[in-house]
Amino acid sequence: MKKQKHKNALYLSDRQPLAFAGKIGVLMMYIILASWAAAIIWPLYQMIVSAFNGRQGSYLILNREFEFSWEHFEYLFEETLYLTWVKNTIFIAVTTAIVILLIVSFTGYAYSRYRFKGRRASLMAILLIQTIPTFAGIAAYYAMHTIISNIIPAFSRQMMLVLIYAGGGIASNTFILKGYIDSISTELDDAGRMDGCSSMKVYRLIIMPIARPMLAVIGLWSFIGPFMDYLLPRVLLTSPQTYTLAAGLFTLINDIRNTNQPAFAAGGLLTAVPIVIMFILLQNQLVSGLAKGSVKG
Amino acid sequence: MKVELKNIGKKYENRENFTLRGIDLTIEEKDFCVILGPSGCGKTTLLRMIAGLNSVTEGDLLFDGRRVNKVAAKDRDIAMVFQSYALYPHMTVYDNMAFSLSMRKERKKIINERVMEAAELLQITEYLHSKPSDISGGQRQRVALGRAIVRNPSVFLMDEPLSNLDAKLREHMRVELVRLHKKLGTTTIYVTHDQVEAMTMANRIVLMNDGKIQQTGAPDEFYEKPGNIFVAKFIGSPTMNMFDGCITDGNFVFDDGVVRIVPSEPLKKLLDPYEGKNVSVGIRAERFEKDSIHRNNIKCTIDVIEMLGKEKLLYCRLSNDKEIVISAPGYNRYEEGMEYTFGFDDSVVHYFNTETGERINK
Amino acid sequence: MAVYNEFLYDTIGNEHPRKNLYLLEVARLQEQIRNSAKSDKTEFVRELRELKRNRKSHPYNVSLSAFKKDEKTFRKNLSESKKAYSREIKGRFSPKITRLKILGFLSGQMEPFYKPFTGLSYDALMHYEEALIIQRQIDGVTEFISEHETAMADAKAARKTIGGEDNKKARAGLFDFKKIQRQKYKADIASLRKKIKEGIISKKAFEAEKAQLKKKQAYAILVKSYELPGKGNRELIKSLHYQVTKGFRREITVLNANIADLRRKTPVEITRVVPVNAFLSFFLPGFGQVLNGQYIKAIFFFLISIFTYVIAIPYSLGYANFQGDGIAGLISLAADGSKLDKSLIFMIEGTLSVYLIIFAVVLVYISFRDVFKVDRDRIRGVRPRNWFETKTSLFEEGFPYMVSFPAMFVIVFIVLVPITTTMLLSFTGMDPQNQSKFPWVGLENYKLIALGQGIAGKAFWYILGWSVVWTLVATTLAIALGFFLAVFTNNERIKGKLFFRTIYLLPWAVPSFITIMFFSIMFSPNGAMTEIITKLLNADAAIVVKYNPMLSRITLIFIQGWLGSSYIFLLSTGVLQSIPEDLYEAAQIDGATAWQKLKRITLPMVLFQTAPLLIGQYTFNFNNFSVIYLFNGGGPFNPTKYGNLAGSTDLLISYIFKLTTDNQYQSIGAAITMVISLGLMVFAFFGFRNSKAFKKSDTE
Ligand SMILES: Nc1ncnc2c1ncn2[C@@H]1O[C@H](COP(=O)(O)OP(=O)(O)OP(=O)(O)O)[C@@H](O)[C@H]1O
Ligand SMILES: [Mg+2]
Repeated sequence: MKKQKHKNALYLSDRQPLAFAGKIGVLMMYIILASWAAAIIWPLYQMIVSAFNGRQGSYLILNREFEFSWEHFEYLFEETLYLTWVKNTIFIAVTTAIVILLIVSFTGYAYSRYRFKGRRASLMAILLIQTIPTFAGIAAYYAMHTIISNIIPAFSRQMMLVLIYAGGGIASNTFILKGYIDSISTELDDAGRMDGCSSMKVYRLIIMPIARPMLAVIGLWSFIGPFMDYLLPRVLLTSPQTYTLAAGLFTLINDIRNTNQPAFAAGGLLTAVPIVIMFILLQNQLVSGLAKGSVKG
Repeated sequence: MKVELKNIGKKYENRENFTLRGIDLTIEEKDFCVILGPSGCGKTTLLRMIAGLNSVTEGDLLFDGRRVNKVAAKDRDIAMVFQSYALYPHMTVYDNMAFSLSMRKERKKIINERVMEAAELLQITEYLHSKPSDISGGQRQRVALGRAIVRNPSVFLMDEPLSNLDAKLREHMRVELVRLHKKLGTTTIYVTHDQVEAMTMANRIVLMNDGKIQQTGAPDEFYEKPGNIFVAKFIGSPTMNMFDGCITDGNFVFDDGVVRIVPSEPLKKLLDPYEGKNVSVGIRAERFEKDSIHRNNIKCTIDVIEMLGKEKLLYCRLSNDKEIVISAPGYNRYEEGMEYTFGFDDSVVHYFNTETGERINK
Repeated sequence: MAVYNEFLYDTIGNEHPRKNLYLLEVARLQEQIRNSAKSDKTEFVRELRELKRNRKSHPYNVSLSAFKKDEKTFRKNLSESKKAYSREIKGRFSPKITRLKILGFLSGQMEPFYKPFTGLSYDALMHYEEALIIQRQIDGVTEFISEHETAMADAKAARKTIGGEDNKKARAGLFDFKKIQRQKYKADIASLRKKIKEGIISKKAFEAEKAQLKKKQAYAILVKSYELPGKGNRELIKSLHYQVTKGFRREITVLNANIADLRRKTPVEITRVVPVNAFLSFFLPGFGQVLNGQYIKAIFFFLISIFTYVIAIPYSLGYANFQGDGIAGLISLAADGSKLDKSLIFMIEGTLSVYLIIFAVVLVYISFRDVFKVDRDRIRGVRPRNWFETKTSLFEEGFPYMVSFPAMFVIVFIVLVPITTTMLLSFTGMDPQNQSKFPWVGLENYKLIALGQGIAGKAFWYILGWSVVWTLVATTLAIALGFFLAVFTNNERIKGKLFFRTIYLLPWAVPSFITIMFFSIMFSPNGAMTEIITKLLNADAAIVVKYNPMLSRITLIFIQGWLGSSYIFLLSTGVLQSIPEDLYEAAQIDGATAWQKLKRITLPMVLFQTAPLLIGQYTFNFNNFSVIYLFNGGGPFNPTKYGNLAGSTDLLISYIFKLTTDNQYQSIGAAITMVISLGLMVFAFFGFRNSKAFKKSDTE
């Protein structure tokens, strides 16, 4: 009786029913996916746990007793320059994003809408030069900073860092923005011209508002860059007062005198959380922007 | 406004040859002028030159006698409707329509009045505050028109504005556009490659091919008196039947007498200079008559019959395998594979000089 | 011998007959000499010589010089009568109209003067027609401007009479209007709310509707507010002001444009046939433009002269340097400078000098080209552009250059100059002993590297080998992981897509330095992972990955797989979602298995669309400093094999870092940098060249 009913039940899915082998396949996939998820979660989970575990000294002790406490965060805020590092990083990130957006929004427009001499050659040249690691110029950066700061005393190492990040971001972001603007119909430009816009106004009043999502992505990327980079701050910035988060937090695990691994976990957590939230919320834009720009070229 | 083109030529910077050359055209005040032609013949180029979006390489472009070659697009007192509408996606319908006026720093009150007026005319008041992405294609088309109307221009330029609409809506908008033109009386220059649009909307058609104007005139002129072979073949569906023959003893002879046409007396004189030379003759499909009393006849076998309802298209073959198309009333009976004789009147025969393509019986 | 052409040509290549009859005769004779048989030649040559000898008395030349003399006096008189005229109308009109009046006056004088000479010379013809154009247009412009100026004056006068009483009343009216609008808005919203409750419209529709109503209301109030007399008047004045200024500018532009057109159509006729101006002025940009009669343009080209002679050359000669000695400093590298002088700074300033000189040379050449072209065209018959034409084309064609200038600037100074410096540095001997002063050593550093000698060169080949292996394995692992995870997650039968996607995003979203440092802690001697591994393998002593080169390398590769797969996963997901479903359906109907579909459709599509980014992943990993350095500082160390500087997991990039930053072997570091940069550039060039992005821009 029961069997009968089963046979008569309607098959509601749009897809073809699976054979046995197919079912095994799906099960395998679930297992793979789940284990990879576990592999991702586990270390991150450990980090969270150790950030809150009060049963630790200056070294991390994992998989042992757990006692909830805020003490590592307290240490972070009171004994280290964490807040200064946050401030520095945000300053560098914001300035970098602004500089890149200002420059790139013009070049992206020009490269997309105008056919001028040297357009292709310059793009190719810049792209190639860009593959040279930024780090290559480090000796020169020192000396250039010395020279410039002698002429303009206010020119700090952090500003040098901003310039380096900006210089490194121009080419690829120009490429991405150009690709995006290419996909905006030129009839809109024409309509704008007929309605009384100059080249500048066409950009400001028509193209820029339409390209805003992509500009946002570029801005966001440029903003995140300084949070992620360790190398250049480590080399260029000399005093803990001027460190960015990456350089600063590293002192907590690397410097024998200051070592405090749980505080590092706490600091890492605090830094990671806002960025992760941002990524999760904006993942679609970030990914599509990234893919679009590069694919379209 | 009267638009005059005098010996206009256009050469794109990255091209070897002139895309357009020697264009002479006068578009009178209040004309609805349709520029018609196959793809790539330079219609858009011409329109964009009139609009001021492309520079004019040579010649004079006059608006009401004033030379405007170098006047910026925005200062030409014209408005353009684009093929893809080109509505600013980030502005509401209202802002789209108000944009040009606010760029001119027009007064808010006047802007509002004008926008409202245009919106009412086009029946788009309801979604004035929606974004273009939230309205349908037909509505967008109206907004694009509205944006042009708001400026109260002296000339409307339209580049295939209906090509993105479906067949039904296109028919509807066609009528609407004509009505609008009647109401506003603004000179309109309309580009299309669709001859039906041209024939139904225009009071003046300019047919272009290969960067040159082939013929200008009223729609019926195009049908009745095509100026050359290209025009004859381009206008009308099905395509006009053409016979490439020569004049022998005053008569037109096609392929050793498969078709022999005896011209009427006045025509004989015109054809005199062509004695022994190649001449092409064209006859429209619907001008053949069965059981005719006409002097000139052809014999042909029907290959295929296509029933279209009110008419039938007969795909026929002459004795030398030349294919022709004949259109007959739907109620007449024909059999496939049978031979029939069709006659035609003298007045429906179009004679062309085969070498130059020019029409002989003016 | 000067060879003349019988015709003149304008910009678009139209032929014009010569007006200079003397030159025409010369040209014709020369033509005959060229075409005739040898025997007749002598006769024509003689004739030509005769003609040239009597050049001065040639009737055409006589009348031409008479015309020139007339013109001179006419011009002198004209400038005087202009002064008189301006004095006469002074103060009677607004400045704009005064300008127009004077223009009209001048053209009125020129037209009759030049009229008789239009057959004589193209210059006269041009002046005559120019005058005609001005006269034809000037009245319309004047009328337009004066109309608007009157309206403006009226509006301004009206402003004074706007009283408090009217304003108050209007204000009250506006207030009421606002109130009514608000009420209406509220009522509308309420009725919408009701509709929601009844389920007629959705929440979303309500929001959209509400936003529209709000905008509508705001517009209505805004428009109404301009009915306030004060505000309305201000707006009117603003609008009129705009019309007057813009209108004036527009009309003048049109006038100028028409004149410019005339210049394009009217040829110029000169007796010179060699473009000497360009050569005469080669070393002084701006001077040639003066010779060509383009005075305002010349000012800008003089700026090039100034740049060249005041900035570029003095700087590269060592003046106004911060510390260095211009180009000379590049050679000496402060070898015999004072104690404080630094070779590096000499080098940078030398590099800067070179760039300045290159700039200067390019600019001077551009100027030369400009003069040459204008001069050559003038000989053909093309009239030089006037300032208006130059300015217009500059604004149209120069726009992309102008807006990309900041980018250029940043790239030259932040990218090019440092890279050049690094390149130069690789040919010097900057090491711990020679920090402040160092000499040129030629290819010494490269030799050390190639032969694997010296303190720094010793480990090079080992490290290069590991770098390449690391790049290939770690990147490919990440790509494969990311790709397959994406394929699995996007399988139509898998549920919980969002969950997996969010988790897989994490390694990318958490700043990598944090995770790497945390991994580093976990793999340290008493870290969690060390414990787990030891337990898993049931070893007696703790297995510390960081102490074992091979284990370290494997672990690093896995960590990078962990970190890098995330990005590839997201990228592939994006592409996968854009592959049209019917492609798979077609394949299915053709009998493709799941694996074949993956191999034939999915993989190629993803690879093809993301190729440039994948290439980027390889270059990125080759230079992936963070993961190596932060995990174990490049260790474990093995001084017998690697020397004291490098560890067994060091990549070239981290090796360079240690060389230059920690140990101050800057030169050899620079040499290695150059080697890998060159390699990467070649790799990227072929990668990019074959990718779609560049193929596409090739056809543009
Ligand atoms: N910006 C441009 N640069 C160079 N050549 C162009 C440009 N725009 C158009 N052309 C060329 O000019 C010719 C005419 O193009 P145009 O767009 O005017 O044709 P059209 O008649 O509008 O065709 P369609 O009906 O397909 O729109 C074509 O051969 C085209 O390749
Ligand atoms: Mg077109």
